[in-house]
Amino acid sequence: MRRHIWPPLGKRWNNRDEACPPGVPVMVNEDADVVARVLAGDGEAFGILIRRYEPGLLRFATRMLGNPDAAADAVAESLVRAYRHLAQCRDPSRLRSWLYRITGNRCRSHLARRHTSDIPLSEAPAPALAEASDTWEVLERSEQIALVERALAALPAEKREAFVLKHVEGMSYEEMAAVTGARIPTLKMRVHRAREALLEALEEVVR
Amino acid sequence: MNPIDPRLQEALDGERDPSELPADLREVYARLMSATEALATTPKLSVSHRVMEEIRRIPAPTPVPVQADGPMRRALRWFGRPRAVTVHLRPVWTVVLAAGLTTLLVLPWQSDSTPTPRASEGVANFVGHFPGARSVEVVGSFNNWSRGLLHLNDDDHDGVWHGAAILPAGAHEYMFVVDGERWVADPLAGRYVDDGFGAGQQNALMIVRPAADQP
Repeated sequence: MRRHIWPPLGKRWNNRDEACPPGVPVMVNEDADVVARVLAGDGEAFGILIRRYEPGLLRFATRMLGNPDAAADAVAESLVRAYRHLAQCRDPSRLRSWLYRITGNRCRSHLARRHTSDIPLSEAPAPALAEASDTWEVLERSEQIALVERALAALPAEKREAFVLKHVEGMSYEEMAAVTGARIPTLKMRVHRAREALLEALEEVVR
Repeated sequence: MNPIDPRLQEALDGERDPSELPADLREVYARLMSATEALATTPKLSVSHRVMEEIRRIPAPTPVPVQADGPMRRALRWFGRPRAVTVHLRPVWTVVLAAGLTTLLVLPWQSDSTPTPRASEGVANFVGHFPGARSVEVVGSFNNWSRGLLHLNDDDHDGVWHGAAILPAGAHEYMFVVDGERWVADPLAGRYVDDGFGAGQQNALMIVRPAADQP
């Protein structure tokens, strides 16, 4: 029997305010309560949901678009859209999947407006600037981050999305299917191909 | 692009304990996990104020009213919902059932879809030899000389067109219309009557005998 581990191996679960995937027991899941408050007229309660999911959505959109400003625009538009259509969220207890789905769609729209699904390398995020006091390890780490970001940016959007949802957002394949609408075997294939591309990029540096 | 060892993919998917991997795969696992952790840093951004300002300006969302389902809708939903049906059969009955179904499928169906004439009606058979014709139809006093109601067929393409119709018993005048434009009196009719237009043209005449009188 397969075990679903939360948080995923090698990933610390720092932000306990982030909801875990469906099917995984948690102490409190009050998304449905907050949604009910908003729908009852307490619009300010939507701020609770923003604070809860904003970090993950921004991280996801940044990795998808390769540009923090574009990511902020996509997430802001997605959250406003989610607020407008909150009554249509059929399962508020799975709000996280719904929000990621909306944000994923906004990201795809942004990418389509660029007339290419791949982010040009020139737009890939620049590595954090090294400072004179940085140690060799810090510099090496910065270089590695830049390399991984560029390898990710070079992937087709659907593989990048699958990889980010799996490894950056720590989702199960079931939740990824709910977010993307793709079948689980398809998502696995995308993640596997993305890993291979990433590993190849990492090995080039070692050589 | 080199494929990654499936065991490593399973470990990365959380389906295999990475400590079970061989040393070389464990090293690759660690390198990939380190790389993905690098991506997991959250950008120092916030759109919270911007979004809250925006949503204060727009109407609050309202719940979609839920309409109570009527008995008809509930019944339709009950019939439309898939349900598991389990039938326990001895193997011998399974064989018998399969044989019965096969027999039903193989046996020709004796469907008698031909309408039978009532006592006051009879069957009129029309036959004409029109080699090369594309269509032949019959118009007559029984269908008010209207086209498109009684077509003859030439399934074997031998130029012999034939068809049948149930008509009231009695005399009926008729003509063949060949290829939609040429009106021809049936050369085999044997009886003809003047068409009444004064040009000396004749219509074919058929006497339909009541079905009760036919053998």
